[in-house]
Amino acid sequence: MEHLDQAQSQPPLAGNGVQVTSLVKLARDGDRAAFGRLVELFQEPIFRMVYYRTRSRMDAEDLTQDIFVKAFKSLAKLRDLERFRPWLFRMAVNRVTDFYRKKRLLAIFKTRDHDSEADPKDVEAQQDPSALDDVIKEEFWKLVTSFSNTLSRREKEVFFLRFMDHLSIREIAQVLDKSESAVKTHLYRGLKKFKEDASLLQLLEASRP
Amino acid sequence: MTKKKEAHLKEADLLQAVVDEADLPASLQEHLKACRLCRHEKDRLELALAELGDRAEHFAPSPMKRVALPVRGSTRRALPWYWNWRRTLVAGMVTAVAAVIVVYGAISVKNLEEAELAALTQEMWEDDLFMIEVSALSENALPLFCSDVSGESYPDFDEEFIDFVVPSTETDLVSCGGGGVKC
Repeated sequence: MEHLDQAQSQPPLAGNGVQVTSLVKLARDGDRAAFGRLVELFQEPIFRMVYYRTRSRMDAEDLTQDIFVKAFKSLAKLRDLERFRPWLFRMAVNRVTDFYRKKRLLAIFKTRDHDSEADPKDVEAQQDPSALDDVIKEEFWKLVTSFSNTLSRREKEVFFLRFMDHLSIREIAQVLDKSESAVKTHLYRGLKKFKEDASLLQLLEASRP
Repeated sequence: MTKKKEAHLKEADLLQAVVDEADLPASLQEHLKACRLCRHEKDRLELALAELGDRAEHFAPSPMKRVALPVRGSTRRALPWYWNWRRTLVAGMVTAVAAVIVVYGAISVKNLEEAELAALTQEMWEDDLFMIEVSALSENALPLFCSDVSGESYPDFDEEFIDFVVPSTETDLVSCGGGGVKC
């Protein structure tokens, strides 16, 4: 548990020596600079969280922008300042869900969604298989996708939030508005499937120094 | 090592330990602390999970643009996602086509009703004519040229006149042979 505990036990972004709660308080009182600082701290984790679910840099950037604008507008509604991180992740989870709902709706009318076109950078990487890193990266994401397809929607959300976004079980419960025991049950099922997925496990163990 | 310590953690217990070690029964927690083999299995799985997170982070791109906050005091509202001229055009066309289908359908149904009504009236009129013919035939089934023979067309010819034209055989003496004997 030590490896996971390390991530879990750390206060959010404590390494930067920043008191997130005080920044949230200042931002809630109308301090734009404080909110700007919060954006600096959380932009990357939120962007990555969205990217893991959309696999498109452009979509992830647009959605991250939307999430922070919404957070900025509704920060006054946040009562418990210490829950800023799960509150922000909850907003992100909801925004990603909306994004997929919209995508499904557009798919019905077969409208070409220009926003979700492949990134030029990603296309370039795919066309240059000589770059070993790109091949490994592609293989990794292929295996992650294949594994996540074996999970139910809730199992996937809990598993990703825990092991890829490094949220604690309590935070996940707050993000998804579920009890901690429900989160643990989903996590257990997800872990069982992870252990059964030999290809992903092999890749991860092989790459370890 | 006692017998209890040798009973290693089952896979379910191992997974439970990764989820939350505190949820394991006290005896299994004790065993996990003491048993190197079980500890190693748990660490192995946790390392793989940590590696998954690290790799995902390493292989994810970095955002290329900074989040832009709304301008202070800006009254310009963000347009909704569906507000796009191409989408609006498509939506307008779809609505127009739907409207044409609905209107055309209503007119077709109306025309169909009128045509059906006219056909029904015609059919009723033809039925009436037919019934008139049937009534006439039931009164007198003979064709017109037979009416003269049947005497239907000469209402003045009574029984006496007919007897005169065609006498009764009872008074016909010649046809029964000679002697004036009645047959």
